[in-house]
Amino acid sequence: MKDIVGKPGGKLRQRSLSAIAALLILLSAPAWSAGTPAGTVIDNMAQVSFDVAGTPVTQDSNISSITVQERIDVVVTLQSPQILVAASDTNRALLFTVTNTGNGSEPFQLAIDSAIGGDDFDPIPAVPGIYFDTDASGDFTVGDIAYVSGTNDPVLAADASVDILLINDIPGAVNDGDIGRSQLTADSLTGTGAPGDVFVGQGDGGSDAVLGTTGGSGNDTGEYIVADVQISVLKSVTVLNQFGGSEPIPGATLTYTITVEVTNTGTASSTVFNDPIPANTTYAPGSISLNAGALTDLIDADAGELDTSGAPSIVVRLGDLTQADGIQTVTFDVTID
Amino acid sequence: MKNLIHLFVTSALTLGAAAVMGQESGNLNVQTIVQKEEIVVDIDGRQRTQLVAATEVVPGDEVVYTITFHNISDKAAENVVVTNPIAAELTYIDRSAFGPGARIEFSVDGGRSYAVAEQLAVLEDDGETRPARPEDFTHIRWSLATDLVAGAQGVARFHARLN
Repeated sequence: MKDIVGKPGGKLRQRSLSAIAALLILLSAPAWSAGTPAGTVIDNMAQVSFDVAGTPVTQDSNISSITVQERIDVVVTLQSPQILVAASDTNRALLFTVTNTGNGSEPFQLAIDSAIGGDDFDPIPAVPGIYFDTDASGDFTVGDIAYVSGTNDPVLAADASVDILLINDIPGAVNDGDIGRSQLTADSLTGTGAPGDVFVGQGDGGSDAVLGTTGGSGNDTGEYIVADVQISVLKSVTVLNQFGGSEPIPGATLTYTITVEVTNTGTASSTVFNDPIPANTTYAPGSISLNAGALTDLIDADAGELDTSGAPSIVVRLGDLTQADGIQTVTFDVTID
Repeated sequence: MKNLIHLFVTSALTLGAAAVMGQESGNLNVQTIVQKEEIVVDIDGRQRTQLVAATEVVPGDEVVYTITFHNISDKAAENVVVTNPIAAELTYIDRSAFGPGARIEFSVDGGRSYAVAEQLAVLEDDGETRPARPEDFTHIRWSLATDLVAGAQGVARFHARLN
């Protein structure tokens, strides 16, 4: 079987292939992002050609072989942005991807930790708290299957990944802007430890398994941020007719009073009040007020105006409102046509 | 099909030559070994690198191939050329090839043609040519400038990284 002398080795059995097949193998360079698969045997054979008294001779070396061991590595990557939550929310999901960056097939054990220091509150893991994103929706849905350690530990081929959801409830006692963190850890079931640690005979194909730079363990942390806000809007109307009575007759003035109240701990950002002028009425010019202060009808530097770009409506920009700002009161008048 | 016939003829000739001389009983005794560099700390606390046998490796490991050729005959070997493939799973480490008194050339086409590293080019899929990179090399060739006289020994070496 000398027919591929001088060609790259590959596995021993490749030497029994035809010379042409071997040539094709060497011309298509493998590209494994996770590295050469565990268990691959790489042979090397040198060839020396020379002349002896004018006669060409070719001579082969022995074959020196190396076997590729399994390198265990895993990376966990948070996919979710910061998740906006309210106090006492339930089943809020964080999405992660667990990727086997080693060169062999490997089972991984998953764990959730929501009691991480350095944040403002501890999310409360649901029971169970880890789900496979079975339907690939990126969110927690009925089709997702719960992870049970020791029962359905994900087994990932080299380069393969799986999407995992961490499910937490939010405590009741949280304040706006509070951040709570939750961490997903994936550990190789072969073992974890320092990079370079060897697990004899526990790699793919009976090779040794060696921990790569990740030490066989990966984790990433997601964040919930409390944006706990409720807006109540109340609208009332008083009628004053031209005869000093309260009958809503044509020509009577209707004064609308709208109160806007933000409660709970959150901030309602860039709040804008918008109310169309009712049908069969006409806006009474110069009648807009905010917290008893007059606002002009024009679009200018003050907080409100009569917007006539479409159907006429009253617009008042209330800005960032918190509970501390108290009740915001907008009034305006119309007359009945 | 012409190529296939040609290769069969070549292999028959090679087999014939091997039958006469064998690996260690012919003119040259050719051996390859593969090793890894290992950093050891001696009793004085100094770090030094030593080569140890490599049988098991993981992706990213650097290995060292050493080819020794010993003329065990009583005749000089002329025009000695040592050829070593770089397995597809390995990437040659730039400027690592070593061979006293040898002209070192590389192939990027599976050993059909050779040139010094600086003169090699690779045709890209888009039709453009670019200078060859170490990962393109498929074979290394050492051509000895002088005869390997009876009893003389030579060495060739290169480093590669496991993909």
